[in-house]
Order: sequence, then C-alpha cells, then structure tokens
Amino acid sequence: MEESIIQIVELGKSFGGHEVLRKIDFSVKKGEVICIVGSSGSGKSTLLRCINRLEHQTAGKVLYHGKEVRDVQREINAYRSKVGMVFQSFNLFNNMSVLKNCMAGTRKVLHISKEEAYDRAIAHLKEVGMAPYINAYPAHLSGGQKQRVAIARALCMNPEVLLFDEPTSALDPEMVGEVLNVMKELAKTGLTMIIVTHEMGFARDVSTRTIFMDKGYIVEDDVPETLFTNPKNPRTKEFLSRFMAG
Amino acid sequence: MMGILASATPENSVGWMLFLAKKYMNSFWKGTWITLYVAVLGTLIGFVMGYLIGIVQDIRVNREDSILKRAVVRLIKLVCEIYVEIFRDTPMIVQAMIIYYGLRQADVAIGIPAAGILVTVLNTGAYMAETVRAGIGSIDNGQREGALALGMSPMLAMFTVVLPQAFKNIIPEMANLFLTNLKMTSVLNVIGLSELFMTAKTVAGNYYKYFESYLIIAVIYFVLCFFFNKIFLLIEKKLALKKDYILAVEYMDNQ
Repeated sequence: MEESIIQIVELGKSFGGHEVLRKIDFSVKKGEVICIVGSSGSGKSTLLRCINRLEHQTAGKVLYHGKEVRDVQREINAYRSKVGMVFQSFNLFNNMSVLKNCMAGTRKVLHISKEEAYDRAIAHLKEVGMAPYINAYPAHLSGGQKQRVAIARALCMNPEVLLFDEPTSALDPEMVGEVLNVMKELAKTGLTMIIVTHEMGFARDVSTRTIFMDKGYIVEDDVPETLFTNPKNPRTKEFLSRFMAG
Repeated sequence: MMGILASATPENSVGWMLFLAKKYMNSFWKGTWITLYVAVLGTLIGFVMGYLIGIVQDIRVNREDSILKRAVVRLIKLVCEIYVEIFRDTPMIVQAMIIYYGLRQADVAIGIPAAGILVTVLNTGAYMAETVRAGIGSIDNGQREGALALGMSPMLAMFTVVLPQAFKNIIPEMANLFLTNLKMTSVLNVIGLSELFMTAKTVAGNYYKYFESYLIIAVIYFVLCFFFNKIFLLIEKKLALKKDYILAVEYMDNQ
C-alpha cells in the first residue's frame, strides 16, 4: 500500500463546549484530489484549517508522512511550507505587488535565489493566466484574478499537497469559472489537492474521492461516481437532492 | 525706525513683541533648538520603543512550547503592560519631576536635556505601544494567515506582511503624537530645561511683559507644528497606493 502524505487520526475540535469536529479519520495519498462537501457549519473549513494548523485540534492528531506534526512553531513552519493553502478570502498580501506576493514565500522561507524565485513566479503566474499583472497590487484586481494569483503563490512553494478552503465562495458567479478551470488543470497535472467546496458539479468531475461531512462527522467517503449517483447514507441523499433540486 | 523701536519704549503689544524678539533672538533660537532636539529625539526613540512593545504584546505562544518560553513571554508582556498603564495614567509634568529628581536622589548623574528626552521617550513609548497594538489589530487576520500558510514564522509574517500595512495606517497617529510632543516639551521647564516655554518665562520676567513674550513662542510653536504637519501629509501621500500599474506586455502573449 502506498504511503499516505497526510493522515488524520481521530481528530476532534471543539470551540468552548461546541463540538465542531468529531473523530475525523482519513488519509491523503499522492495524486489524490479529495473534495469535501457538506452544508455550512458541518465543519469542513475547520477540518481544513486543522490540517494546516491554523486551528489547533482538541483531540487526535495530524500525521505528515507518518510523523506527528507537533504544536511547536518550527515543526509547524516546515510542515506548512510543504502543505499550501488557498483561502476563501484570497489573503494576498496587500502591501506587495503580484510578483512580490509570489516571491515572498520562496525568498523568505525557502531562501532560493532571486532569479529562481522570479522564474518560478512567472511560470506559475503564466499557468493561471496572470503573468501580465506582475506589477499590479491586490487592490487593482478582481476577485477571480486575486484567487488565481493566490493559487500561483501557493504553487511557487512546490507544495506536496494544496488545500483549498472554499476558493470560489467569495467570487461573483462569472468569476467562479475562471478559478475552477485553473483548478481543473492543476488536477490533471497530478497535484495532490484537498478542496472544500460547494461546487457539486466540479467535485463530481474533478475529485478522485469525495467526502461528505455533516455535523462534524465524515458521513460518507467514496469515489464521486458512487457518492453522487448512489449514496449509501440517507443524510448524503438528502443533502444531494436538495442541491440538485435547488 | 527699528533703531527707535529698540531704544525707545514700545507703545503697543506688537511693538513689544518685536522688541523682545529682537533683543532676545538668541535665547529664542536656542529655546527652539532645544524644543526640537528633545521632541524629535524623544519621539523617535519613543516610536521604536512603542513598536517593540506593540510587537511583543502580539506574540502568541503555542500549547506545546516549553514552559520556560511561555513563562518568559508572559513576564515580558506583564512588564510592558504595567509600564504602559503607569505612563498613560499619570501626567507628563509629574513624571518629569519624579524621574529627574528621583534619578538625582539616587546619585545618577543625568543632565537636564537627557532627563527631558528620557521622559519624552517613556511617555511616547507608552502611547505608541497602544497605537501599534491597535494598528496591528486593524489588519485583517487573513493577511497573517496567508503568510503563515506559506511557512513563515509568526515574527517573519509580522515584519513582512502585517507591520508594513499597520505602519501605513498608523502614520496619522504618529504625526499626532509628534505634534503633541513638540508642544508637551513645554512642561519640561519644571525640571529646568531651557526650551521655549522656559525662554519665554525668563524673557517675560525681564520686562514684566508676559502676554507678549508668550505670544512670541505661541507663534514659534505654531510655525513648527504647521511645518511638520505638512511634511507628514507629504509622507502619507507618498506611501499611498498607486492608482495605476503597468501591464507586463512581455507576458501578454498566449494569455
């Protein structure tokens, strides 16, 4: 069996007395594209944030190549430089141009040369169609453009896994397509991705595995062909029927 | 005409002002210089101190950090908090007396100008710490998270992403603080610093012309503040985001 890159073991998270995640178990293997779907408040985003250690779980652990990522800053930094994240609200650095945004991580964290960082930034910005905008600042860009730059910024780090936290939820409908297309292309390159999304059509087409979450539990974890057409759990059925109808 | 003014007794307040300004020009120059010296140096060092404390207050420890690290961070934060509280809650004029005479009593050989700067620094640092804390808080947490997600340490994220943005937001408040300091140095006359207020007091006493003498330094204070205010506005404008950007046409193909 192929070794998993990330393994989540009995992960739990509660805010105060409110349990958001309960006994989450799943693992991510190289090349997998995992879409996590579920209604709002089901814990999808919290799970993703726990995986990136922006949230600290209250139970269980996150393993990276079989080794626990402890809550120690140096370990977290090293781990994060390998596990990229794309946010719902883009989080591009407002004080930097598009180019600087894409070079910040490679220069300051990976310490690669200026020339190489520049080449990488241009290559990935070309990939997402944003290379002409290297001199622009985030305030100059539309939502879809910002998100594409954010994806390029994450790619510059050459991540082993890329996490997407509802990357299209803050976008106007006509901009959703341009971002989803970029992500589809990325999936084809074999990049390992975990995507929290409300785009069911996208999840069905692109994912190699789809996870349905409800009330902090993983209800169903299956290949999209089965999960979308023949779900086993009544909750999944109900959720999907609501989505397909509405 | 000026000769007559200088030798004869001036007839009105304007005449007295000109007379005093001319006769004690050197004293007023010296007073202006000391006021500026103490205000600028005190403010600048105070800013640095405020930034340091503001950043320290923002440090977050992880649950699995060593007990030693957590204890040290807590202690430093506590000391900073107490310092800020004390200096914000007492008048500068009282601080000046306590610090100057306190140091004297403890046989610390501190000069009057140095004591004046020290008081200004401590006062500015306390206010600036709060301003920096608020400035950091005004930056969307997503900015920090974006940096952390790239693997930056919290400190690196602070210095490359959060602080540069906070700094821009804080500039008007920094200008405010500096102008306040420029005027507040006047209280340092209580420890014998021969800044503008002290100069006016001395000059006034010579001819019993209080109104005119203080009016002279009011004009000087006004001109100084006016001038510095314009400089700060210019800096703010310089740092504002450009409205346009240049498309990199070399990458326009096959987009």
